[in-house]
Amino acid sequence: MAKVAYYPGCALKERSSHLDTSARDSAVRLGFELDELPTWTCCGAVPPVSEERVMNLVAPSRILKDVRDSGRDVLITICDFCYNTLKRTNYSIRTNEITRKRINAFLADDEPERDYIEKKDAYWVDYTGEVRVVHLMEYLRDEIGYGNIREKLKRPLSGLKIAPYYGCVMLRPQNEIQLDEPENPSIIEDFIDSLGAETIRYPYRTECCGSYLSVSSPDASTRLCYRILTSAQQHGADAMVISCPLCFYNLDSRQKAIAEAYPDFKPIPVFYFTQLLSVALGVDEGRQGFERHFVDVAPVLDMILQGSGKGDRT
Amino acid sequence: MKRIGVFICHCGINIAGTVDVKRVAEEVAKLDSVVYAQDYIYMCSDPGQALVREKIRQEKLDGIIIAACSPSLHESTFRTAAEEAGLNPWQCEIANIREQCSWVHTDRKKATEKAIRIVSTMVEKTRLNESLEPIPVSITKKALVIGGGIAGIQAALDIADSGHKVILVEKESSIGGHMAQLSETFPTLDCSQCILTPKMVAAGKHRNIQLMTYSEVEEVSGYVGNFNVRIRRKAPFVDWSTCTGCGLCMEKCPAKVPSEFDRGLSTHGAIYIPFPQAVPNKPVIDRESCIYFKTGKCRLCEKTCEIGAIKFDQEDQIIEEEIGAIITATGYETLPVTELQEYGAGEVPDVIDGLAFERLLSASGPTSGEVRRPSDGRVPKEVVFVQCAGSRDPERYRPYCSKICCMYTTKHALLYKHRVHDGQPYIFYIDIRTGGKGYEEFYHNAEQDEGIIYLRGKVAKIFRDGDKTIVWGTDTLTGRNVEIQADLVVLATAVVPRESTAELVKKLRIQTGPNGFLSEAHPKLRPVESINSGFFIAGVAQGPRDIPETVAQASGAACKVISLFSRDHLEQDPAIAWVDEELCGGCRICISVCPYDAREYDEEKCIARVNEALCEGCGSCVAACACGATQQRNLSDSQIKSMVTASLGGE
Amino acid sequence: MSERTGLAPPKSPPVRLTRETVSGGFKKRVIELSGQNMDSCYQCGNCSSGCPVAQEMDILPNRIMRLAQLGLKDDIIHSATLWICASCFQCTVRCPRGIDIQGVMDTLRQIALDEGVDHFGPDQIDPEQAASVPQPGLVGVYRKLST
Repeated sequence: MAKVAYYPGCALKERSSHLDTSARDSAVRLGFELDELPTWTCCGAVPPVSEERVMNLVAPSRILKDVRDSGRDVLITICDFCYNTLKRTNYSIRTNEITRKRINAFLADDEPERDYIEKKDAYWVDYTGEVRVVHLMEYLRDEIGYGNIREKLKRPLSGLKIAPYYGCVMLRPQNEIQLDEPENPSIIEDFIDSLGAETIRYPYRTECCGSYLSVSSPDASTRLCYRILTSAQQHGADAMVISCPLCFYNLDSRQKAIAEAYPDFKPIPVFYFTQLLSVALGVDEGRQGFERHFVDVAPVLDMILQGSGKGDRT
Repeated sequence: MKRIGVFICHCGINIAGTVDVKRVAEEVAKLDSVVYAQDYIYMCSDPGQALVREKIRQEKLDGIIIAACSPSLHESTFRTAAEEAGLNPWQCEIANIREQCSWVHTDRKKATEKAIRIVSTMVEKTRLNESLEPIPVSITKKALVIGGGIAGIQAALDIADSGHKVILVEKESSIGGHMAQLSETFPTLDCSQCILTPKMVAAGKHRNIQLMTYSEVEEVSGYVGNFNVRIRRKAPFVDWSTCTGCGLCMEKCPAKVPSEFDRGLSTHGAIYIPFPQAVPNKPVIDRESCIYFKTGKCRLCEKTCEIGAIKFDQEDQIIEEEIGAIITATGYETLPVTELQEYGAGEVPDVIDGLAFERLLSASGPTSGEVRRPSDGRVPKEVVFVQCAGSRDPERYRPYCSKICCMYTTKHALLYKHRVHDGQPYIFYIDIRTGGKGYEEFYHNAEQDEGIIYLRGKVAKIFRDGDKTIVWGTDTLTGRNVEIQADLVVLATAVVPRESTAELVKKLRIQTGPNGFLSEAHPKLRPVESINSGFFIAGVAQGPRDIPETVAQASGAACKVISLFSRDHLEQDPAIAWVDEELCGGCRICISVCPYDAREYDEEKCIARVNEALCEGCGSCVAACACGATQQRNLSDSQIKSMVTASLGGE
Repeated sequence: MSERTGLAPPKSPPVRLTRETVSGGFKKRVIELSGQNMDSCYQCGNCSSGCPVAQEMDILPNRIMRLAQLGLKDDIIHSATLWICASCFQCTVRCPRGIDIQGVMDTLRQIALDEGVDHFGPDQIDPEQAASVPQPGLVGVYRKLST
């Protein structure tokens, strides 16, 4: 089975481990293995803006260099923040010579002291952005192919109406990320289509959920998420699909605060794309971590299970 | 030995500020053949020219050098002055010590040395200059105008009125262009068709104008005064000579094709006339949509036509014409709404562009002038107009200002208000630009008396929610964001050059600028000419502009053509390539390097000749010629050799 | 500006523009740190129109850009807007002049933090949230909004 280098990131290791599990399960069903890097650190979650803060680029650069040094050129990640940070770091290493030199100076400097990593005998080679950072969704689209997914479905999600949610950092800034058209993307829609479900078009799919404001200005996030979720519901969505742990937190857990603030609000289940993929590929629904969702997924899950008869419970 | 005079210009401080002009005069006076050298503050002034004329006579000069600015500016001034004093104009040379010396240097000493060398170089050239006479070239006094919009119509009428023949080529089946689609025109609110159709009829009836609609220029060869043009007349599948334009065939046609003229807001049959006032008023069959052409069955139009004008077997015709001058007036398109992703990418039915709104306002339009929105035909009560939709956006769309939108959007809002009294128009703008006669007053009136709300800010996003179209904008003047639940949104999409213009300019070998609009020879002083002689330009094909400007420019271009045709022959610069027939071996290298198609092979003599009318004197063939048979007049090998020596400091 | 005691300060005193304000230290620092040419901004307002959190801001993004063009540091670093921006890049993606407005916002935050305007400290987080919010939220908020 093909192994692809995989960077889970902090969230998937712990608070969003159900995203990790479902991704790994799905990968196996699709014929590849998410091969977690033997050692890795936090990527920093947000890339720094200025030259002066180049220190903040060192952690993601080290991750990328380790992948390169292990002889691989593709790194899969799932969390939108990790994806954004790693991809943008790579972009600045590729396009900005000063950044490239400074980062390599830092990396070369700390190399002998890194006792938490096995020492390598290989002589020093500057990291110049050779690794391609790929979102799992992107890997499914470009490498596996939606047609292949369709063929391997055990439980097509027919009849289910799903609202795709992109959020912000998966698509933007577009000149550096280049995953899809930033105003009118289609990658999640096409993914939903490959699972046999119906896509709901609603206007808020690329509007921000509040991101880290959830911590510092929770009310702002509540207002934003209310608008996103209700719009999806008004357009007929049974569920929403996302890929980012922070979006999940805001759009799922925050429904408690939304319900308190807006009496008319009706809950709507939110899924990681990997959970729906995993279920559709026939992985046991008990492995999906649904108990960790704030909003009960049972009604939607029932639709899936009934819709596909008994299904293949492995 | 020649008697050469050198005149050194100060150009105020432009030259004298960096170059020691007195020293230049002293030094060049020492050169062989130089019998006179003098500096003067403004050589191009009347007294400066008088000095040149006086010294030519007094000193019996048979060659002069003006050390001054670029020859592109004043060469003709001084050659004329020389001629007035009895000197052959080709004995006058310009030494450019401004653009190529004083302006680009700061070290006075070195700049002065360089200026001396530049002048010395030209002294060497002048010593060996021959006296030349201009080459006469004949002119075919017939013009070709490409594009039958208001620019092309106006230019054709002006040339035809002066007594010269004109061929007016139009791609569509009728002339009229975009102006025929407009309802009313700013700032006077004249009915567009009412002022346009008399000109269309006049162009159609003029005895000096030959209309070739439904036609395209295929190929252009030749040169100013003597172009050969091939024109494709597309088969309309209707015999226009017998068709009476009765329209019965169009009524019977069962096909439904979205009307391009109505911007898709109505349909017509596969056989159609684009609009009722079309000139000529003859139908064409759209091959792509015709049921007979697609399936081999139908022919209803043929059965209906009593005079038998329908001809399914008609073929395109190629027509060849000799032409003296060509005006390109191919007009514009607007950026498709589908390209504006954040404005709904064309998927929101009640988001339309300005030309579509013109059709909704037009009495001859699909709603007979009632403003009804496309989605459900209801009269919209909240209408948002969005300016700069794709303009002034170098990052994603077009960098330039489309110029006409400020005015036509105000006109749209005002006309909407006149039709729907209880409706509310909003205009989102970044800046309002009203540079035109009566424009500011028009805008002022709209703002003050018509209840239009102007919001200063760019719209970020437009989307459909239920039967409303939501507009997210801002009002930077209050610092508040704005949301409008609109019934209809009209986008002032960027004016862009026609896609077909790019292909046409390749055939004509004229130039376009970075945004695809036609380039003029000089942005201020030669605005209606292309850099290639014999080609003129008019209308929006050159860049966004309104109707009065377009008409003025079209008349300007026509005037240039008439002026060209007023001469018995053209004068071609004789400082071009010539061939020593004894030496030419007929290898044809010159033919392959010539960028102007000016070298041709003489099958009888087995040599390569120079077409003097086409040669621009670029020297490519002279450099390429292996046996030295091709030479350039007044730039002979011996001249170049001594010029190089002089430029390197002598010896 | 010194005010006489006993008089209420004026609500909108005119801004005194000098060479130092409009092209001096603060503005140079913003340009240097962000790498963005703010003078390219022509105040179309697109950044504000599409900003998802504009409703929470006291000064809209286009006005922040304008204040930065004029070098009015104090107005900027005491604006709530800096701490509301969620770094979603909507403004950056849509700016017709290609300015990374989000990057400018990050820069302004950094300058404000350097000036001692610490917006969000570890003590301000709700403990229940601290235990549940995914790490990108925590790391993000502290990186963006505190020193």
